[in-house]
Amino acid sequence: MGLKSTPFLSYDEILVDEIDIYEDAWGFNSEFSDVINLLNLVVTPVPEKRLTERLIERVRQQD
Amino acid sequence: MKKTMSDYELIEKFVKGDQSCFEELIHRHKNKVYAYISLYIRDQALVEDLFQDTFLKVIQSVKSGKYYDNGKFISWVMRIAHNLIIDHFRRIKQLNTVSNDDYESDLFNSKKLAEANVEDHLIKRQIQKDIRKLISQLPDDQREVVILRHYSGLSFKEIADITDVSINTALGRMRYALINMRKMMEEKKISLTFN
Repeated sequence: MGLKSTPFLSYDEILVDEIDIYEDAWGFNSEFSDVINLLNLVVTPVPEKRLTERLIERVRQQD
Repeated sequence: MKKTMSDYELIEKFVKGDQSCFEELIHRHKNKVYAYISLYIRDQALVEDLFQDTFLKVIQSVKSGKYYDNGKFISWVMRIAHNLIIDHFRRIKQLNTVSNDDYESDLFNSKKLAEANVEDHLIKRQIQKDIRKLISQLPDDQREVVILRHYSGLSFKEIADITDVSINTALGRMRYALINMRKMMEEKKISLTFN
């Protein structure tokens, strides 16, 4: 017949690892890209290695 | 392929004596907890104390059987961090030693910034300071959602669990926060002037 149908995708095949589907549905990234770009300028703080090591040491001492 | 253990599986093994399982939980969640506390507290030493206290309190609660798994371990941990922050502010209020200083950015000592020249550094620093100030001026419930979503990287489902509201309410707060931030940006004429 020469007809081509769209292959089915299961939900698991859609990559949503980095996407919050609720956020996506509300369209924040497109509607507020200016504000979100500004928020991105603040470096996300991460704990220094020595702090994590100190915490793990304290956890071990608790045992 | 090695199967990744769930948070609850790690807790169960930790309770049975496998210390390394809690260390795995720390590595898994430390950035979310640290970012959350850092965006509320200015004093770096205090951030570090609260960060450690959060995980130590988690251990106490887990060992005394106060944690019941419902698939929301990180929400529970963040709630503990939140309560410790609230306790801190209550203590300060009682002592009447609240500082009115602007938020200082002690956090921006990344390698990237170290490589930039001094002028760029100062401009970046000022912009980051301005943005943090905008965030700090949001109503509490809106600020919390922005920090949890944007800096701790939690999903709206997790945010709804932590803040004890529906997902729609959490999304609504985020929307209001973004609208308010845009308004403040316009009022203060802040724009994306540095890339």
